Amino acid sequence: MANRQLDVKGLKCPVPIVRAKKEIDLMQAGDVLEVLATDPGSVSDFQGWAKTSKLAVLKEQRTEKDSTGKDVYVHILERKG
Amino acid sequence: MASVTPDSGSVTVAELLARADAGEPLLVLDVRNDEEWQAWRLEGRRPIETVHIPYFDFIEDPVACQRRLPRQRDIVAVCAQGGSSVMVVDTLRDAGIPAQSLVGGMVAYGEYLQPVRVPVDEAGATWELWQINRRGKGCLSYVIRAGREAIVVDPSRDVAWYEAFVRGLGASIVRVLDTHVHADHVSGGPALAARIGAPYWVKAGEGFECKHAIAPLADGQKIELGGDAGGTLDVRIMAAPGHTPGSSAFLVGRRHLLTGDTLFVKSVGRPDLGGHAVEWGRALFHTLRERFATLPDNTVVLPAHYAGPEEIGADGVVSAPFGILRRTVPELQIRDEQTFIRAMQRAVKPAPATYDEVIRVNLGLATVDAEKATEWELGKNQCAAGATHASP
Repeated sequence: MANRQLDVKGLKCPVPIVRAKKEIDLMQAGDVLEVLATDPGSVSDFQGWAKTSKLAVLKEQRTEKDSTGKDVYVHILERKG
Repeated sequence: MASVTPDSGSVTVAELLARADAGEPLLVLDVRNDEEWQAWRLEGRRPIETVHIPYFDFIEDPVACQRRLPRQRDIVAVCAQGGSSVMVVDTLRDAGIPAQSLVGGMVAYGEYLQPVRVPVDEAGATWELWQINRRGKGCLSYVIRAGREAIVVDPSRDVAWYEAFVRGLGASIVRVLDTHVHADHVSGGPALAARIGAPYWVKAGEGFECKHAIAPLADGQKIELGGDAGGTLDVRIMAAPGHTPGSSAFLVGRRHLLTGDTLFVKSVGRPDLGGHAVEWGRALFHTLRERFATLPDNTVVLPAHYAGPEEIGADGVVSAPFGILRRTVPELQIRDEQTFIRAMQRAVKPAPATYDEVIRVNLGLATVDAEKATEWELGKNQCAAGATHASP
């Protein structure tokens, strides 16, 4: 279960990563953040950011559909210790 | 168009390409993710020095990223859509490093249309021919003007651009033609024709159903242009099956041949996109060896695609005399049908996953919104059989 959820649907880069970093910075070690995005580029962006980030670990990524059938990219991140 | 000033924080695709083509020592800072960077990059007519540092690295550690940049250079930051590059430029400027952001990013680069006038050296020619170079994708469309009438050939999706361009020539569009049903980009043909109430001419070919209202395009057919102002120009339709069964070439005046995806300046169109490399390859062989072989050597070949900036000539036009191509294009050296078909089969490579969907839209069997079409069209075309230097 995620401790926090961040909805960045409809927003383009760099906003999803900028906001996710702000959330992660405020979280406790072991806390989980669920990010909902619609930008297809966010999939590779979160993978790339997690590689360089000192605090975020990318646990899972999946694609869901919203009520209109549009793709929503879900990124699950955990705050490192 | 806005002029470039040293303190301007942004630069348009047109400005950036003009500066890069002129050999200005720019440094492009590409801030996209690794996947996007590997798939497709900005290209100028001269090599552009580029550094790749993803924007999220700037978010994590801006100072470390700044240290990786050479000093005393005109930096232009480029991202996917023009948002992240603004953020990166802001952090650089805050640190006292001059930089500009490319407006609209690679999406704008992929959609940018550069008109280049084709020098027409035909006695008594009162008409003009423009090659519209979609630099980011390597797609070429054409505008032919005679008198106050114009024909648009193989237009890209930005139909308003063609309307404005033709208006600027003091003419109006009377016909819209596609050399074939495209697979690499969504054709602007049906939408442009609908907007101006002109017929849309294309030949889908045997086995293909086209739901768009199309005018018939027949071998040998002659279209007259510009009769209203006395400056008549003939455009002749030449069937050129192979890349697709309905592919056509258009002879403009006496010796300018719009070859579509049948013949490029370094290769030929791949005949395997429909999954029939043997049948379509055979058709392509006969088109090249029989139909095109009779063309005079001074015929100017003007294709619908090119694979890299080295194919752009000194005059800015992607073209070549047929007499040169007859000797230099490897596929035109093959004199035997079976050898040619085997060469085409060897050149078969997977087509991008979106090509089938693009074809369905171009046949009018499906529709697509602008956002999705933009996503489909990212990256360069992969329409040539021999283009080994096209993006993976």
